[in-house]
Amino acid sequence: MVTFEEILKDKGYPGFDPSKHIDARWAADKLSLFRPEDAERFWFMGFQWPRACPLNFVWLEDGFAWGTQFAANNMPLPPSNGLAPRVAGIHVYGSDIPVSAWEMQTRGARVGKTLPTFLQDFPAVWNDRRDEIMAGLRHFETCELNGKSPAELWQIMHDARAFHVRAWEIHFELMYPLTANYLGFYGLCKELGLPAADIPKYLQGYETQPMRSDREMWKLANEARSSEAGRLIAANEPQQIYDALQASSSAAGWLKRFDVFLQEYGHRCGTVVDVSSPPWIEDPSACLGIIKSLLQSEDPYAFEKSLAAAVEERETKIDQARSKLTKQEQEAFDQALKSCQHANFAWWNDDHNWYIDMRCTLPIRRIALAIGGALGFNDPQDIVFLFYSEIRDLANGRTSLKSLTPLIRDRKDYYAHWGARRQEMPNVLGKVPETITDPVVIEIFGITDEFLELMRTGKKSATRLTGVAASPGKARGPARVLRSPDELHRIQKGDILVCEGTTPTWTPAFTKIAGCVCDLGGTLTHASVVSREYRVPCIVGTGLATRSIRDGDEVTVDGDQGVVTVHRAA
Amino acid sequence: MARLGALRRHGFEVPDGFAVTVAAFQQFIDASGLGSRIESEMAAIEDPNDTVPIERASASIRQLIEQSPFEASLSNALVSAYEELCFRHGQIDLAVAVRSSATGEDSAGASYAGQYESYLGIMGADNVLDAVRKAWSSLFAERALSYRLRRKQHHRETPMGVGVLRLLHARCAGVGFSAHPVTGKRDRIVIEGTWGLGEALVQGLVEPDHIEIDKSDGRIIDYRVGDKKLVSAFDPAHGKVAERNTPERFRRAPCLTDDMIDALWRTVRDVEGRYGYPVDLEWVIENPWQAAGRVAVVQVRPITAIDHVQAESAAPRWNALDYATKYGMGLGGARRS
Repeated sequence: MVTFEEILKDKGYPGFDPSKHIDARWAADKLSLFRPEDAERFWFMGFQWPRACPLNFVWLEDGFAWGTQFAANNMPLPPSNGLAPRVAGIHVYGSDIPVSAWEMQTRGARVGKTLPTFLQDFPAVWNDRRDEIMAGLRHFETCELNGKSPAELWQIMHDARAFHVRAWEIHFELMYPLTANYLGFYGLCKELGLPAADIPKYLQGYETQPMRSDREMWKLANEARSSEAGRLIAANEPQQIYDALQASSSAAGWLKRFDVFLQEYGHRCGTVVDVSSPPWIEDPSACLGIIKSLLQSEDPYAFEKSLAAAVEERETKIDQARSKLTKQEQEAFDQALKSCQHANFAWWNDDHNWYIDMRCTLPIRRIALAIGGALGFNDPQDIVFLFYSEIRDLANGRTSLKSLTPLIRDRKDYYAHWGARRQEMPNVLGKVPETITDPVVIEIFGITDEFLELMRTGKKSATRLTGVAASPGKARGPARVLRSPDELHRIQKGDILVCEGTTPTWTPAFTKIAGCVCDLGGTLTHASVVSREYRVPCIVGTGLATRSIRDGDEVTVDGDQGVVTVHRAA
Repeated sequence: MARLGALRRHGFEVPDGFAVTVAAFQQFIDASGLGSRIESEMAAIEDPNDTVPIERASASIRQLIEQSPFEASLSNALVSAYEELCFRHGQIDLAVAVRSSATGEDSAGASYAGQYESYLGIMGADNVLDAVRKAWSSLFAERALSYRLRRKQHHRETPMGVGVLRLLHARCAGVGFSAHPVTGKRDRIVIEGTWGLGEALVQGLVEPDHIEIDKSDGRIIDYRVGDKKLVSAFDPAHGKVAERNTPERFRRAPCLTDDMIDALWRTVRDVEGRYGYPVDLEWVIENPWQAAGRVAVVQVRPITAIDHVQAESAAPRWNALDYATKYGMGLGGARRS
């Protein structure tokens, strides 16, 4: 394992100068490398967060630091000032920023005035924000970049950055109060003696934008069945499929429909908030790889069936819950349920990903690549190894590409070096506390008291892991331990997916896997929400699954109890 | 026992019988000169938490009471009341239940639930007289004794009444609470029931069926079937009620049907309505059961422990801000598990 001391010794990317390269706004705690005094605080690694190539520092500043800190102050969120970001090599850690007891009280009084109105207005607010975001996205996704000078492109980049900041303000402005409302509902249900595992189900089964995208992909896969397009998809590796389809005249009709799909749904990152990975619209092979895997499913209606089953389960569970309650209790439950379905965090948490997390950073990539092209980069992709301010100086002729070329090479080495050490990076750093108060940290990142206990004691068994029972049911199968979504094509039907955590990019895999186990996460983490929608047993927050389970191990996932058992080592 | 009489007058189903008054008990103690001997036995207990002297005092006081003869006037009165009861039912040596009921048990300040003893299936006048003395002596049962000592109460403050009631041919029996006995929630009625007579249940020997009912509309909100391994059954050959193993077919079968539960809901709700505060009662459903039949009440007392949980007993009311603050913002100190 990499130690804190080792991380402290590292000075970051070759040529990294915090005073020049970290220049965006922050409210309570600025992005930086780890500092000696950080040893006194508690840091956790976010599996959702991208590997930090230099240009990804833009998100660390705008979303991670400014977005959380702005929203926590503005809402306000009583128990936390948002998140503080740190970078260790290329790996990102966060820590919630404490507030004083006095501040917590005054914020409590303030939020009393803002929260009820927010919840009341939520659907309209989200509609407005989504329209605002979509307008911005359309602008930056379609604006003409060809033939523009680097300096002109920089003007567009400047606007795209402002849009990016705004998108992340919206993100956390909505996420904090919705999470708090959900947790209130969760608390009420517990008071009423309802089974904890059922609570998220009362809110499931509402269609989100990522689900619409999945449905369209299923449709495309079904249209390709027993046709020339389907044959070509099945016969080729994902990277070759698009070219093979283009070369065949009998697949032209399908390809045309696929291109229409890409225009609508292809503006999404390979991962989330990562400028270093191409969106489907730029490189469709990841998407075609998914369609290829969907073609292998015997049941063409699997998607519709699982959605219908999620709806039916929701209604059954609500009826069950109500039948266990007295009239007075039903009244409270009905009101709470109505409020939570009206401002539905479980739904929004998946829906917003599609508009913000998966998409809002793409304009920065698009413009950066254009600047790279205009400046005559051999490989315009290399530009992600420059910091934002370096690109500014380059685009405006204040530095020369030549002076940066060796630096880019060294930074790629640095990126590869730290990337290969992912498995040696500790899940947590610094002082592990007994409890955390920031609701997003608890629910989204799964930093529960149980997880903290596991991290403090380091207790682990080679054959038995426990975590948050996120989606019920039992499944047994071979473990597929994936380090990144690039490996998704390795998933076979009936596998147990073992990973740090999932993002919307991983969603299509849930139609094939029999079970899911994640190192990190809580009841509202992506993997938890999607597992419930797709009726896959799932355990998150196991802490150490990717390190204690090996690829091919025979494992059982008990999603009712939150226990993973390893039966036979591969 | 006065309560049962009142309930009967108000039209509730209460088994026929008679009450042996508190005054009768006092007369018995005075006539037999037991008062001072009880006082001296009690004086031997110095520490209310020391079990050995309590055990010793309890045993000797109970023996004194059970072996002291009745005054002729008292025994005559008891025997004639019993014979009158037998005659009313046209049954020589009618089987009865002799139920003790300390007035402390009926007072609102403290619940003596289950501390005193009842004797079921008693037949014949001599056996009834013995059972009445045993019921009286249970005022000095160990648990009752140490409970009073800890509360610094004198036994004179809680004199003993006894009810002699016709023994019902029980299909099933149990207890009913007009509020949740643990959480104090007033919006529900809680029923525990088992096959046969309720003795095994009251003594905690059996895992009963547990039913919760919405008090407002009688809707069953929970029915958890217990594994009722033992059953209290009347043995007419020996004139007693004793525990035996429950036949397999009965053990895990629910002992109550929907219309029985409906009758129980009405009864418990109405008894509470009569008193104006939460009650717990013992009930019996007779065999054969007829549709829309009635539930017999054989014991009733106030639920006293409920004062302590009253604060939490109100049904929750939803307020998004309050709940978000309590559970979602680290302010209420109530973290979810």
